[in-house]
Amino acid sequence: MKRGQKLTALRYIAISSILISLYMIFFLAPTDRYLGIVQKIFYIHFASAIIPYLAFLIVFLASAFYLVKKEIFFDRLALASAEIGLMVDTVLLVTGTIFSKPTWGVWWVWEPRLTTSLIMWLLYFGYLMLRSLSEDRLKAKNLAAVYGIVAFVSVPISFMSIRWWRSVHPILITPNKINLDPSMWLVALSTLAAFALLFAYLLNLKMEILLLEEEIAEIKEEMGDTQ
Amino acid sequence: MKLLALLIKKDLKLELQTKESLSAMLIFSLLTMVSLGLALGGEPANGAVLSGLLWITFLFTSLLGLNRTFFYEKEEGCLEGLLLAPIDITHLYLSKVVSNFIFLSLMEAVVIPVFLLFFSGGSVNLFTGGFFLTLILANLGLSIIGVLLAAISMNTRAKDLMLPLLFIPVIVPVLLAAIKATNIVVLGGETAELFASLRLLLFYDIIFALVAFLTFEYVLEE
Repeated sequence: MKRGQKLTALRYIAISSILISLYMIFFLAPTDRYLGIVQKIFYIHFASAIIPYLAFLIVFLASAFYLVKKEIFFDRLALASAEIGLMVDTVLLVTGTIFSKPTWGVWWVWEPRLTTSLIMWLLYFGYLMLRSLSEDRLKAKNLAAVYGIVAFVSVPISFMSIRWWRSVHPILITPNKINLDPSMWLVALSTLAAFALLFAYLLNLKMEILLLEEEIAEIKEEMGDTQ
Repeated sequence: MKLLALLIKKDLKLELQTKESLSAMLIFSLLTMVSLGLALGGEPANGAVLSGLLWITFLFTSLLGLNRTFFYEKEEGCLEGLLLAPIDITHLYLSKVVSNFIFLSLMEAVVIPVFLLFFSGGSVNLFTGGFFLTLILANLGLSIIGVLLAAISMNTRAKDLMLPLLFIPVIVPVLLAAIKATNIVVLGGETAELFASLRLLLFYDIIFALVAFLTFEYVLEE
Protein backbone atom coordinates (compact mmCIF):
# COMPACT_ATOMS: atom_id res chain seq x y z
CA MET A 1 0.00 0.00 0.00
CA LYS A 2 1.23 3.48 -0.79
CA ARG A 3 1.63 6.05 1.95
CA GLY A 4 -1.32 8.13 0.81
CA GLN A 5 -3.57 5.05 0.80
CA LYS A 6 -2.48 4.09 4.29
CA LEU A 7 -3.32 7.57 5.49
CA THR A 8 -6.75 7.42 3.87
CA ALA A 9 -7.43 4.02 5.45
CA LEU A 10 -6.36 5.32 8.83
CA ARG A 11 -8.64 8.32 8.37
CA TYR A 12 -11.72 6.16 7.79
CA ILE A 13 -10.84 3.88 10.70
CA ALA A 14 -10.42 6.89 12.99
CA ILE A 15 -13.64 8.58 11.91
CA SER A 16 -15.72 5.42 12.23
CA SER A 17 -14.29 4.56 15.64
CA ILE A 18 -15.11 8.08 16.86
CA LEU A 19 -18.68 7.64 15.57
CA ILE A 20 -18.97 4.23 17.27
CA SER A 21 -17.70 5.63 20.55
CA LEU A 22 -20.18 8.53 20.32
CA TYR A 23 -22.97 6.00 19.81
CA MET A 24 -21.75 4.04 22.81
CA ILE A 25 -21.57 7.19 24.95
CA PHE A 26 -25.11 8.29 24.20
CA PHE A 27 -26.97 5.01 23.78
CA LEU A 28 -25.10 2.19 25.50
CA ALA A 29 -23.60 3.80 28.58
CA PRO A 30 -25.98 4.02 31.53
CA THR A 31 -27.01 7.50 32.66
CA ASP A 32 -25.39 8.52 35.92
CA ARG A 33 -27.74 8.28 38.91
CA TYR A 34 -26.61 11.55 40.49
CA LEU A 35 -25.19 13.66 37.69
CA GLY A 36 -27.58 12.66 34.92
CA ILE A 37 -26.82 13.46 31.30
CA VAL A 38 -23.99 15.82 32.26
CA GLN A 39 -21.82 12.82 33.09
CA LYS A 40 -21.59 11.88 29.38
CA ILE A 41 -18.83 14.43 28.93
CA PHE A 42 -16.71 12.33 31.26
CA TYR A 43 -15.88 9.88 28.44
CA ILE A 44 -14.40 12.61 26.23
CA HIS A 45 -12.73 14.13 29.26
CA PHE A 46 -11.15 10.82 30.26
CA ALA A 47 -9.83 10.07 26.78
CA SER A 48 -8.46 13.57 26.34
CA ALA A 49 -6.70 13.29 29.70
CA ILE A 50 -4.65 10.26 28.67
CA ILE A 51 -3.71 11.25 25.11
CA PRO A 52 -1.65 14.40 25.97
CA TYR A 53 0.60 12.36 28.26
CA LEU A 54 1.16 9.90 25.42
CA ALA A 55 1.76 12.75 22.95
CA PHE A 56 4.24 14.54 25.21
CA LEU A 57 6.03 11.28 25.98
CA ILE A 58 6.50 10.93 22.21
CA VAL A 59 7.83 14.51 22.07
CA PHE A 60 10.31 13.65 24.82
CA LEU A 61 11.54 10.42 23.24
CA ALA A 62 11.67 11.88 19.72
CA SER A 63 13.59 14.92 20.99
CA ALA A 64 16.17 12.72 22.72
CA PHE A 65 16.54 10.53 19.63
CA TYR A 66 16.89 13.60 17.43
CA LEU A 67 19.74 14.99 19.54
CA VAL A 68 21.58 11.66 19.48
CA LYS A 69 20.92 10.49 15.93
CA LYS A 70 20.30 13.84 14.16
CA GLU A 71 17.68 12.22 11.94
CA ILE A 72 15.10 14.70 10.73
CA PHE A 73 12.32 12.12 11.07
CA PHE A 74 12.46 12.43 14.87
CA ASP A 75 12.26 16.20 14.67
CA ARG A 76 9.09 15.97 12.58
CA LEU A 77 7.64 13.41 14.97
CA ALA A 78 8.30 15.67 17.97
CA LEU A 79 6.76 18.74 16.37
CA ALA A 80 3.68 16.90 15.10
CA SER A 81 3.11 15.16 18.43
CA ALA A 82 3.49 18.39 20.41
CA GLU A 83 0.97 20.19 18.24
CA ILE A 84 -1.68 17.48 18.46
CA GLY A 85 -0.97 16.86 22.14
CA LEU A 86 -1.56 20.55 22.82
CA MET A 87 -4.82 20.40 20.91
CA VAL A 88 -6.08 17.43 22.95
CA ASP A 89 -4.89 19.12 26.14
CA THR A 90 -7.08 22.07 25.16
CA VAL A 91 -10.04 19.68 24.82
CA LEU A 92 -9.17 18.31 28.26
CA LEU A 93 -9.19 21.77 29.86
CA VAL A 94 -12.42 22.82 28.16
CA THR A 95 -14.33 19.61 28.96
CA GLY A 96 -12.86 19.73 32.47
CA THR A 97 -14.25 23.19 33.20
CA ILE A 98 -17.63 22.25 31.69
CA PHE A 99 -17.73 19.06 33.78
CA SER A 100 -16.52 20.88 36.88
CA LYS A 101 -19.35 23.42 37.11
CA PRO A 102 -22.25 20.97 37.63
CA THR A 103 -20.24 18.50 39.74
CA TRP A 104 -18.15 20.74 42.00
CA GLY A 105 -20.17 23.95 41.59
CA VAL A 106 -17.24 26.00 40.29
CA TRP A 107 -15.57 26.29 36.90
CA TRP A 108 -12.04 25.92 38.16
CA VAL A 109 -10.27 24.56 41.23
CA TRP A 110 -6.53 24.96 41.87
CA GLU A 111 -6.02 21.30 42.35
CA PRO A 112 -3.05 19.11 41.27
CA ARG A 113 -4.51 17.55 38.14
CA LEU A 114 -6.12 20.70 36.81
CA THR A 115 -3.08 22.81 37.58
CA THR A 116 -0.72 20.27 36.02
CA SER A 117 -2.84 20.12 32.86
CA LEU A 118 -2.78 23.91 32.60
CA ILE A 119 0.98 24.09 33.20
CA MET A 120 1.45 21.35 30.62
CA TRP A 121 -0.59 23.40 28.16
CA LEU A 122 1.65 26.44 28.82
CA LEU A 123 4.83 24.36 28.51
CA TYR A 124 3.97 23.01 25.10
CA PHE A 125 2.54 26.30 23.89
CA GLY A 126 6.00 27.67 24.72
CA TYR A 127 7.52 24.76 22.81
CA LEU A 128 5.53 25.58 19.68
CA MET A 129 6.31 29.30 20.01
CA LEU A 130 9.99 28.44 20.34
CA ARG A 131 9.78 26.46 17.10
CA SER A 132 8.13 29.28 15.19
CA LEU A 133 10.38 32.03 16.52
CA SER A 134 13.78 30.47 15.91
CA GLU A 135 16.13 32.09 13.43
CA ASP A 136 18.21 29.28 12.03
CA ARG A 137 16.22 26.25 10.80
CA LEU A 138 18.73 23.62 11.81
CA LYS A 139 19.56 25.26 15.13
CA ALA A 140 15.86 25.61 15.88
CA LYS A 141 15.52 21.83 15.84
CA ASN A 142 18.25 21.47 18.47
CA LEU A 143 16.74 24.14 20.72
CA ALA A 144 13.27 22.65 20.43
CA ALA A 145 14.60 19.17 21.20
CA VAL A 146 16.31 20.39 24.38
CA TYR A 147 13.16 22.18 25.50
CA GLY A 148 11.07 19.12 24.61
CA ILE A 149 13.18 17.14 27.08
CA VAL A 150 13.17 19.79 29.84
CA ALA A 151 9.40 20.32 29.54
CA PHE A 152 8.62 16.62 29.88
CA VAL A 153 10.86 16.23 32.93
CA SER A 154 9.04 19.08 34.65
CA VAL A 155 5.54 17.64 34.10
CA PRO A 156 5.66 14.78 36.67
CA ILE A 157 7.52 16.86 39.23
CA SER A 158 5.03 19.69 38.84
CA PHE A 159 2.33 17.16 39.59
CA MET A 160 4.22 15.92 42.64
CA SER A 161 4.86 19.40 43.98
CA ILE A 162 1.26 20.50 43.68
CA ARG A 163 0.02 17.39 45.46
CA TRP A 164 0.30 18.80 48.94
CA TRP A 165 -2.91 20.65 48.28
CA ARG A 166 -5.86 18.52 49.09
CA SER A 167 -7.25 17.03 45.93
CA VAL A 168 -10.94 17.07 45.11
CA HIS A 169 -10.44 15.33 41.79
CA PRO A 170 -11.78 11.76 41.95
CA ILE A 171 -9.28 8.96 41.55
CA LEU A 172 -10.62 6.33 39.18
CA ILE A 173 -8.05 3.63 39.58
CA THR A 174 -6.70 2.68 42.99
CA PRO A 175 -4.55 -0.40 43.61
CA ASN A 176 -7.54 -2.20 45.17
CA LYS A 177 -10.48 -1.37 42.98
CA ILE A 178 -11.81 0.57 40.05
CA ASN A 179 -14.28 3.28 41.03
CA LEU A 180 -16.51 3.10 38.00
CA ASP A 181 -19.38 0.96 36.78
CA PRO A 182 -18.09 -1.84 34.47
CA SER A 183 -20.36 -0.81 31.59
CA MET A 184 -19.13 2.77 31.93
CA TRP A 185 -15.57 1.48 31.87
CA LEU A 186 -16.16 -0.31 28.60
CA VAL A 187 -17.40 2.91 27.01
CA ALA A 188 -14.56 4.94 28.53
CA LEU A 189 -11.93 2.56 27.20
CA SER A 190 -13.57 2.43 23.76
CA THR A 191 -13.57 6.22 23.63
CA LEU A 192 -9.92 6.20 24.61
CA ALA A 193 -9.17 3.73 21.81
CA ALA A 194 -11.05 5.93 19.33
CA PHE A 195 -9.12 8.98 20.49
CA ALA A 196 -5.85 7.06 20.16
CA LEU A 197 -6.73 6.16 16.56
CA LEU A 198 -7.65 9.77 15.81
CA PHE A 199 -4.36 10.85 17.38
CA ALA A 200 -2.45 8.35 15.23
CA TYR A 201 -4.19 9.63 12.09
CA LEU A 202 -3.60 13.32 12.86
CA LEU A 203 0.02 12.58 13.80
CA ASN A 204 0.65 10.87 10.48
CA LEU A 205 -1.15 13.61 8.59
CA LYS A 206 0.84 16.37 10.29
CA MET A 207 4.11 14.54 9.64
CA GLU A 208 3.19 14.20 5.99
CA ILE A 209 2.51 17.94 5.83
CA LEU A 210 5.85 18.72 7.48
CA LEU A 211 7.64 16.45 5.03
CA LEU A 212 6.01 18.23 2.10
CA GLU A 213 6.88 21.62 3.60
CA GLU A 214 10.51 20.59 3.83
CA GLU A 215 10.50 19.42 0.22
CA ILE A 216 8.99 22.72 -0.90
CA ALA A 217 11.61 24.64 1.05
CA GLU A 218 14.34 22.57 -0.60
CA ILE A 219 12.92 23.14 -4.09
CA LYS A 220 12.68 26.86 -3.41
CA GLU A 221 16.30 26.93 -2.30
CA GLU A 222 17.42 25.08 -5.43
CA MET A 223 15.46 27.43 -7.65
CA GLY A 224 16.97 30.38 -5.81
CA ASP A 225 20.45 29.00 -6.52
CA THR A 226 19.95 28.62 -10.26
CA GLN A 227 18.40 32.02 -10.83
CA MET B 1 38.78 24.23 37.88
CA LYS B 2 41.05 27.23 37.33
CA LEU B 3 39.35 27.83 34.03
CA LEU B 4 35.96 27.78 35.67
CA ALA B 5 37.10 30.33 38.26
CA LEU B 6 38.42 32.50 35.45
CA LEU B 7 35.12 32.39 33.58
CA ILE B 8 33.17 33.29 36.72
CA LYS B 9 35.61 36.12 37.45
CA LYS B 10 35.05 37.44 33.94
CA ASP B 11 31.26 37.58 34.45
CA LEU B 12 31.56 39.22 37.87
CA LYS B 13 34.07 41.78 36.61
CA LEU B 14 31.87 42.72 33.67
CA GLU B 15 28.87 43.17 35.94
CA LEU B 16 30.72 45.08 38.65
CA GLN B 17 32.11 47.49 36.07
CA THR B 18 28.71 48.50 34.76
CA LYS B 19 26.34 47.26 37.48
CA GLU B 20 23.68 47.30 34.77
CA SER B 21 21.90 44.04 35.65
CA LEU B 22 22.09 44.42 39.40
CA SER B 23 20.76 47.98 39.52
CA ALA B 24 17.99 47.12 37.05
CA MET B 25 17.09 44.06 39.13
CA LEU B 26 16.89 46.08 42.33
CA ILE B 27 14.70 48.80 40.87
CA PHE B 28 12.51 46.19 39.22
CA SER B 29 12.08 44.28 42.49
CA LEU B 30 11.07 47.54 44.14
CA LEU B 31 8.53 48.14 41.38
CA THR B 32 7.17 44.61 41.80
CA MET B 33 6.76 45.18 45.53
CA VAL B 34 4.97 48.48 44.91
CA SER B 35 2.58 46.69 42.52
CA LEU B 36 1.98 43.96 45.09
CA GLY B 37 1.38 46.58 47.76
CA LEU B 38 -1.17 48.32 45.56
CA ALA B 39 -2.84 45.00 44.76
CA LEU B 40 -3.17 44.23 48.46
CA GLY B 41 -4.74 47.66 48.90
CA GLY B 42 -3.31 48.24 52.34
CA GLU B 43 -4.38 44.86 53.69
CA PRO B 44 -1.62 43.08 55.62
CA ALA B 45 -0.22 39.98 53.91
CA ASN B 46 -0.66 37.12 56.35
CA GLY B 47 1.81 34.24 56.59
CA ALA B 48 0.73 32.02 53.71
CA VAL B 49 0.33 34.91 51.25
CA LEU B 50 3.54 36.56 52.39
CA SER B 51 5.84 33.77 51.20
CA GLY B 52 4.01 33.56 47.86
CA LEU B 53 4.47 37.30 47.28
CA LEU B 54 8.14 37.09 48.24
CA TRP B 55 8.84 34.33 45.72
CA ILE B 56 6.89 36.07 42.99
CA THR B 57 9.12 39.10 43.53
CA PHE B 58 12.20 36.86 43.26
CA LEU B 59 10.90 35.04 40.20
CA PHE B 60 10.12 38.19 38.20
CA THR B 61 13.36 39.84 39.20
CA SER B 62 15.42 36.77 38.37
CA LEU B 63 14.09 36.95 34.80
CA LEU B 64 15.82 40.30 34.33
CA GLY B 65 19.19 38.92 35.29
CA LEU B 66 18.75 35.72 33.31
CA ASN B 67 17.89 37.66 30.17
CA ARG B 68 21.25 39.39 30.41
CA THR B 69 23.17 36.14 30.99
CA PHE B 70 24.49 35.82 27.47
CA PHE B 71 24.23 39.51 26.54
CA TYR B 72 27.93 40.23 26.08
CA GLU B 73 28.60 36.85 24.52
CA LYS B 74 25.90 37.38 21.91
CA GLU B 75 26.06 41.10 21.20
CA GLU B 76 29.81 41.52 21.20
CA GLY B 77 30.54 38.22 19.50
CA CYS B 78 32.43 36.80 22.48
CA LEU B 79 30.57 33.52 22.21
CA GLU B 80 32.48 32.47 19.11
CA GLY B 81 35.70 33.25 20.95
CA LEU B 82 34.65 31.19 23.92
CA LEU B 83 33.55 28.30 21.75
CA LEU B 84 36.82 28.36 19.83
CA ALA B 85 38.88 28.49 23.00
CA PRO B 86 39.85 25.13 24.51
CA ILE B 87 37.11 25.33 27.12
CA ASP B 88 34.82 22.51 28.05
CA ILE B 89 31.34 23.69 27.19
CA THR B 90 30.01 22.49 30.56
CA HIS B 91 32.50 24.89 32.18
CA LEU B 92 30.84 27.73 30.33
CA TYR B 93 27.45 26.54 31.55
CA LEU B 94 28.65 26.11 35.14
CA SER B 95 30.26 29.55 35.21
CA LYS B 96 26.99 31.11 34.12
CA VAL B 97 25.05 29.19 36.77
CA VAL B 98 27.46 30.37 39.46
CA SER B 99 27.45 34.01 38.37
CA ASN B 100 23.66 34.02 38.13
CA PHE B 101 23.47 32.41 41.56
CA ILE B 102 25.66 35.20 42.96
CA PHE B 103 23.59 37.95 41.34
CA LEU B 104 20.36 36.39 42.58
CA SER B 105 21.70 36.13 46.12
CA LEU B 106 22.93 39.73 46.10
CA MET B 107 19.55 40.92 44.88
CA GLU B 108 17.74 38.88 47.55
CA ALA B 109 20.00 40.18 50.30
CA VAL B 110 18.69 43.67 49.55
CA VAL B 111 15.11 42.72 48.71
CA ILE B 112 14.32 40.60 51.80
CA PRO B 113 14.73 43.36 54.43
CA VAL B 114 12.78 45.82 52.26
CA PHE B 115 10.07 43.24 51.65
CA LEU B 116 9.73 42.50 55.37
CA LEU B 117 9.60 46.22 56.09
CA PHE B 118 6.79 46.69 53.57
CA PHE B 119 4.67 43.62 54.14
CA SER B 120 5.28 41.88 57.45
CA GLY B 121 4.76 44.77 59.85
CA GLY B 122 8.00 43.69 61.53
CA SER B 123 6.43 40.58 63.02
CA VAL B 124 8.04 37.95 60.78
CA ASN B 125 11.55 36.69 61.28
CA LEU B 126 13.08 35.21 58.15
CA PHE B 127 16.67 35.26 59.33
CA THR B 128 16.83 31.58 60.20
CA GLY B 129 18.97 28.69 59.00
CA GLY B 130 15.97 27.01 57.39
CA PHE B 131 15.16 30.01 55.22
CA PHE B 132 18.83 30.42 54.35
CA LEU B 133 18.93 26.83 53.07
CA THR B 134 15.70 27.41 51.15
CA LEU B 135 17.24 30.43 49.44
CA ILE B 136 20.39 28.55 48.48
CA LEU B 137 18.55 25.54 47.06
CA ALA B 138 15.93 27.60 45.24
CA ASN B 139 18.52 30.01 43.79
CA LEU B 140 20.41 26.98 42.53
CA GLY B 141 17.26 25.68 40.86
CA LEU B 142 16.45 29.06 39.32
CA SER B 143 20.00 29.38 37.97
CA ILE B 144 20.30 25.78 36.75
CA ILE B 145 17.12 25.94 34.67
CA GLY B 146 17.33 29.65 33.93
CA VAL B 147 20.75 29.57 32.29
CA LEU B 148 19.82 26.62 30.07
CA LEU B 149 16.61 28.31 28.93
CA ALA B 150 18.35 31.69 28.57
CA ALA B 151 20.80 30.01 26.20
CA ILE B 152 17.85 28.66 24.23
CA SER B 153 15.95 31.93 24.08
CA MET B 154 18.96 34.04 23.06
CA ASN B 155 19.08 31.98 19.88
CA THR B 156 15.52 32.83 18.88
CA ARG B 157 14.24 35.82 17.00
CA ALA B 158 12.22 36.99 20.00
CA LYS B 159 15.21 36.76 22.41
CA ASP B 160 14.17 38.26 25.77
CA LEU B 161 10.50 37.85 24.95
CA MET B 162 10.91 34.08 24.82
CA LEU B 163 12.57 33.46 28.18
CA PRO B 164 9.59 34.10 30.53
CA LEU B 165 7.35 31.90 28.39
CA LEU B 166 9.82 29.02 28.55
CA PHE B 167 11.07 29.61 32.08
CA ILE B 168 8.00 30.16 34.26
CA PRO B 169 6.12 26.90 33.50
CA VAL B 170 9.29 24.83 33.96
CA ILE B 171 10.24 26.50 37.25
CA VAL B 172 6.82 25.87 38.87
CA PRO B 173 7.96 22.89 41.00
CA VAL B 174 10.98 24.76 42.40
CA LEU B 175 8.83 27.80 43.09
CA LEU B 176 6.15 25.79 44.87
CA ALA B 177 8.64 23.92 47.04
CA ALA B 178 10.37 27.20 47.94
CA ILE B 179 7.04 28.83 48.85
CA LYS B 180 6.12 25.83 50.97
CA ALA B 181 9.44 25.88 52.81
CA THR B 182 9.18 29.64 53.40
CA ASN B 183 5.63 29.17 54.64
CA ILE B 184 6.80 26.70 57.25
CA VAL B 185 9.48 29.15 58.39
CA VAL B 186 7.02 32.07 58.54
CA LEU B 187 4.23 30.16 60.28
CA GLY B 188 6.59 28.27 62.54
CA GLY B 189 5.89 24.72 61.36
CA GLU B 190 7.70 21.56 62.32
CA THR B 191 11.34 21.07 61.41
CA ALA B 192 10.63 17.66 59.87
CA GLU B 193 8.16 19.28 57.49
CA LEU B 194 10.69 21.93 56.56
CA PHE B 195 13.29 19.29 55.80
CA ALA B 196 10.82 17.43 53.60
CA SER B 197 10.39 20.57 51.46
CA LEU B 198 14.12 21.19 51.36
CA ARG B 199 14.76 17.60 50.31
CA LEU B 200 12.24 18.08 47.52
CA LEU B 201 14.05 21.25 46.40
CA LEU B 202 17.38 19.43 46.42
CA PHE B 203 15.85 16.60 44.40
CA TYR B 204 14.55 19.07 41.76
CA ASP B 205 17.94 20.76 41.59
CA ILE B 206 19.67 17.44 40.98
CA ILE B 207 17.19 16.32 38.30
CA PHE B 208 17.31 19.60 36.41
CA ALA B 209 21.09 19.78 36.73
CA LEU B 210 21.36 16.32 35.17
CA VAL B 211 19.10 17.31 32.27
CA ALA B 212 21.00 20.57 31.77
CA PHE B 213 24.41 18.88 31.77
CA LEU B 214 23.25 16.36 29.21
CA THR B 215 21.63 18.87 26.87
CA PHE B 216 23.51 22.18 27.17
CA GLU B 217 26.12 21.38 24.53
CA TYR B 218 23.37 20.89 21.93
CA VAL B 219 22.05 24.41 22.57
CA LEU B 220 25.35 26.00 21.57
CA GLU B 221 26.14 23.48 18.84
CA GLU B 222 26.65 25.15 15.47
